[in-house]
Amino acid sequence: MTRRNWVALDNASNIFLAARSDIDPKVFRISAEMDQEVDPEVLQEALDLTFERYPLFHAVLRRGIFWYYLQDSDLRPRVRPETDYPCAPIYQPDRRNLLFRVLYRRRRMMVEIFHALSDGTGALWFLTDLVDAYCRRRCQAGDPRGQSEPARVPVHDLSTDPFAQYFRRGRGSGADGEPAGRDEFRHAAAPAALSVEGPGSPAARPSRRRRRLFDRRIQRVRGTRNPDNRTRVVELGMAADPVLELARSRGAATTVYLTALFLKAVRQSSPGPESPATLTASVPVNLRQFFPSSSARNFFATIRVGHDFGQGHDEIAAICADLSGQFSAGATPEALEQKLRRLIRLERMPPLRIMPSPLKNLILRSVNRASNRGLTVAVSNLGLVRLPDAAESRVAAMMFHTAAVRPQFCAMTHAGRLTISFTSPFVQTGHVREFARLLTDQGIGVTVAASRVIEAELGVVNLPRHRTRRHRPGREHR
Amino acid sequence: MRRCQACRVDVEGDWQSCPLCHLPLQGRATPDPLPRVPLVFSRGRVLRVLFGCSLAVILGSFASQLLLHRGPAGIGVLRSVWLGVVAMWWVVLMAVRKRRNAAKGTVYLVLVIGGVSAYWDYLTGWHRWSLSYVVPIVSACSIVAVLIAVRVMRMEVGDHIVYSGLIALLGLVPILFLVFGWAPNPIASWVCVAVSGAGLVRLLGWFPDARRELAKRLRL
Repeated sequence: MTRRNWVALDNASNIFLAARSDIDPKVFRISAEMDQEVDPEVLQEALDLTFERYPLFHAVLRRGIFWYYLQDSDLRPRVRPETDYPCAPIYQPDRRNLLFRVLYRRRRMMVEIFHALSDGTGALWFLTDLVDAYCRRRCQAGDPRGQSEPARVPVHDLSTDPFAQYFRRGRGSGADGEPAGRDEFRHAAAPAALSVEGPGSPAARPSRRRRRLFDRRIQRVRGTRNPDNRTRVVELGMAADPVLELARSRGAATTVYLTALFLKAVRQSSPGPESPATLTASVPVNLRQFFPSSSARNFFATIRVGHDFGQGHDEIAAICADLSGQFSAGATPEALEQKLRRLIRLERMPPLRIMPSPLKNLILRSVNRASNRGLTVAVSNLGLVRLPDAAESRVAAMMFHTAAVRPQFCAMTHAGRLTISFTSPFVQTGHVREFARLLTDQGIGVTVAASRVIEAELGVVNLPRHRTRRHRPGREHR
Repeated sequence: MRRCQACRVDVEGDWQSCPLCHLPLQGRATPDPLPRVPLVFSRGRVLRVLFGCSLAVILGSFASQLLLHRGPAGIGVLRSVWLGVVAMWWVVLMAVRKRRNAAKGTVYLVLVIGGVSAYWDYLTGWHRWSLSYVVPIVSACSIVAVLIAVRVMRMEVGDHIVYSGLIALLGLVPILFLVFGWAPNPIASWVCVAVSGAGLVRLLGWFPDARRELAKRLRL
């Protein structure tokens, strides 16, 4: 008789289930572009090897009365040619399927993951091991490049919930090292009644800047929805060093600089670019950099940054300076820990705990919708990726993008190549055009790869009329 | 690679116009790195709409019966035909919707058939044929059917134990019919209670799994 392991879904993942929709199925993709066409048989062998090391990826998602949980399964993944649009839905209620898929097309191999299973870092670990195993298998098949020794990687199991490990009341720091903000963790181990920050404490008090962000009317991007709810993907590829130099010349980190460019681009592509408006961006922060964890499960928090346009400080340098200050204040271990402890306390409140999961989903969905109203765009940067030696020379570029309910970009750098993938639920690509031109105006060479989303681009017409939305030029970005 | 002079970018794929500014491109086309996927028809959304509409028609049909006279003096055979069609529609709807878990689907069927037959009985003069025959017979048969199905389909205990237990407990409901004398003919109720008792004894063999499954599903 089979007794399957199971774990309750972690803190961050619950929101993905509540917030998923036809437009945003909460799926993201990380791809690697190889130097040769992908061999599906070798890729399958590599997947079988990698899959064994990731018990987390064996999981299927099930719904309890009050919460969701991940349960171990005997399912085996099969590599498939890419035939669907990027980031097509993976999780379907009442069906027990794996929460990820591995695809290939020409020189690209892709891993698509339902976000409730893992985050970008976890997915990147998986893809790295997959590419490494693939390259080693190719090497064994007679290609002299690369090595044939098996990779030694930690097992990423089902059970570790880093949120609970670090932030739940009564749980101390489980890290091997001494993470930043250790005193805060001792504080977290105290009963909640003693550890709650008072409204007057400095940490609990929102900054004036932050209050201003929430008080002001946030400009949101509008447009014509893609006909069958697919995500529009536009990949911009460029050399990483010149962009890094540009960011340095503005005294900003790459993520801050790219976020500033993005806000500026959205502003320029919007109607009425002279009127005052606040544009905001949601930026995920990988918590592993502050709270060491080898778990591949979701372990990130988001911070919100923004800039007030139309007040005479709309140059890139001024936006960078404004955003840098907000990043510095928001992305500290103390600030993140406090935010997460507050969220987890909310999640553990008795009235919410005894609420059946469909009702809980309704509440979380409303909270998410309200939160979305305060966001213009989203940004995610996985940073510089270095693969194991066997794979490094064989991978030409790596790409990362996600299904999005609002315009978003995901960036990653590999082998000196920065790839910025814009995704959007809208047909219009005006913000990407402005972003690309902001870069090319400064002498950066940019290549563009875009997905096709409308009949005119695809050259086929098989769309029921009711699924399209009428174009409303007055309210849309261009 | 093609080039857009306005955006000063190189465009991969065989785009005729720039995907960013829609102006014509120059240069030679390259293979498209992203697939050209035809627009897809959202079957899921259509099924959701169909399910919602069906449920509205079914519940509307049942509700509208209250506006007509009760008993045989009402609309007579037309009512039976109407209720029969609507009940079958509902049963099929539930069976299709819950087809992925036989035990779960059976729970829904027992509830739907039991409820519909009791309501039908009420509309046709409350002769209690539903309590004498339909509810106990359907409950008893569903217990047997589920125990056979989980064996034949080799379902994991965790996948069916909650629903099997629920069906067995539903099979004890006819005890109320016997105690309060609601069933004019008690034979089917006795049989149902006996079958349900036997079913529960069988399920007791899976008690540790049932406890584990409930701990999972009822985790607060």
